[in-house]
Amino acid sequence: MMSRSLFRREVSLRSREALHGYGFILIWVVGFALFTFLPLVETFRYSVNQVTVTATSINLDFVEWANYTRALFTDPNFVELLVGYTIETLVSVPIVLIFAMLIAMFLNLKFRFKGLFRTIFFLPIVITSGPVIKELTAQGAASAPGIANIPAVIEFLEQLPRALRSPVEYLLTSFILILWFSGVQILIYLASLQKVDRSVYEAAAIDGASGWEIFWKVTLPSLSTATVVNAIYTIITLSHFSENKVIQYIYARTYDVHGGIGYASALAFIYFGVMVVLLGLVYFFLMNWARRGSR
Amino acid sequence: MSRNKFRRLSGVRNRGINPRGFHVSQIKFYVLLMPLAIFMLLPIIFVISNAFKPPDELFAYPPRFFVTSPTLKNFSDLFSKMSTSGIPVSRYLFNSILITLVTVAASIIVSSMAAYALSKKRFKLKKTLFAVNNVALMFVPIAVTIPRFLVIERLNLLDSFWVHILPVLAMPVGLFLLKQFIDGIPDEVIEAAQIDGASDWRIYWRIILPLIQPALATIAILTFQAAWNNADTSSLYLNNESLRTFAFYLSTLTSTTTGANAVAGQGIAAAAALIMFLPNLLIFIFLQSQVMSTMSHSGLK
Repeated sequence: MMSRSLFRREVSLRSREALHGYGFILIWVVGFALFTFLPLVETFRYSVNQVTVTATSINLDFVEWANYTRALFTDPNFVELLVGYTIETLVSVPIVLIFAMLIAMFLNLKFRFKGLFRTIFFLPIVITSGPVIKELTAQGAASAPGIANIPAVIEFLEQLPRALRSPVEYLLTSFILILWFSGVQILIYLASLQKVDRSVYEAAAIDGASGWEIFWKVTLPSLSTATVVNAIYTIITLSHFSENKVIQYIYARTYDVHGGIGYASALAFIYFGVMVVLLGLVYFFLMNWARRGSR
Repeated sequence: MSRNKFRRLSGVRNRGINPRGFHVSQIKFYVLLMPLAIFMLLPIIFVISNAFKPPDELFAYPPRFFVTSPTLKNFSDLFSKMSTSGIPVSRYLFNSILITLVTVAASIIVSSMAAYALSKKRFKLKKTLFAVNNVALMFVPIAVTIPRFLVIERLNLLDSFWVHILPVLAMPVGLFLLKQFIDGIPDEVIEAAQIDGASDWRIYWRIILPLIQPALATIAILTFQAAWNNADTSSLYLNNESLRTFAFYLSTLTSTTTGANAVAGQGIAAAAALIMFLPNLLIFIFLQSQVMSTMSHSGLK
């Protein structure tokens, strides 16, 4: 406290504010640097090395990009898993967003037992992480594989062009799972729906806008920021989901004899790159849309 | 209800946007929401009913959803297994509870303070720090396990109680969500408080925190789960058995049994999953009212 009174006299307002800012963020920066950022840099170093672990030390052999080329051009599984992940994410994100938006708009209306419904739709937050989803996937209850074996469905899938087949099949079998990822997203949408000024709706209604028009011209544009946040959050949770196949593959490779940590680190960085591209795509697409919407 | 009825009759109704009270027109919401709501509840019902299933039902094909002849055998198996191990269960439970409480409280404070600074303060590194956080957000946590081990070793944190808490304090997802919520608080509120002579700490404590309560409760639920279900820390960074967590303990019980007796192992795993899940559900029920009730106040109006 004493130092503050000193600063008040000698330091300009701006740098005082900056100092307070650093003060508030300091603990976080230290923790983040030590336990997340440093390890990240270290992981990158591993990814361009052949890493061998002995009982006493870790030996690094610089191999340039060998781990990366092996992952992309030699490894028979990894690229396929990545493509599968990309398709699944691109299918899931719009569904989660639309579902969350619809549910949030319903829950923002006034009707009885609204609180109860809100609670129930927020429940996925305790389902998708932790023991429940593990138990569910272990029992095979998270997906509905039976659907893909129904003759009519098989026939329908065969009618589809090749490129569309696996996304549609994924959609049919994992629809349940996708919806369970929408807990936090519904909350974010609800919060931003409640920030919309009621008078805007009233003004629109007085000007003779129909409910449909109000949705497209008022509600949707005001949800654009929330949509971007939700899209990012959805991609992140989907890609960090513990039952995600790419993650399990990377995890298994970490303890492989051949390649081991170095190779797994390279895999992680490639996965990270794909995620960045996905996020970039979604972000670009949504930002464009948001700008058009607000015009 | 009578007030609502009055409003409806007198035409003072927010037409089309906010129907008040119950009205026949609302039935369509229930028709739509009910099935979806039941659908959301299914996994929880499944986990509960699974824990009471006898072996033949657990392995039934096709798997049945509800238990038909509930039994407590899975639990008694689990408890008898517990009583044969060296360290009392209460030790693990105590560790887990203490670790979870400290982690949740500390990480909420650290993340929300950082989020406040990133959202409302002006300083040079602000944009860079948030960008770095977003990068970390995208990175697979398991890939940094080994380097993190080395850092922990160098800091002499191996085999200490703090290794459970310190590494998870700076949670990137938490900062990301909290910053988005604080961004939604108008600057005018903070400026008004500054003009009234409120210090930074006071603004943070008295204005920011109450306004982002839904987000805080969400983060609390997420951190609680991460801490409570965390078995990795115990197996990776700890050799001292008495510092390990309940989650780790249960995972050893279920994994050793699957080798010896796969059938009994499944039952024990189902019972353990329910026991692990219950605190999550409790904390959810406890905190969800925070999430829901304060939501309408988060803003200016």
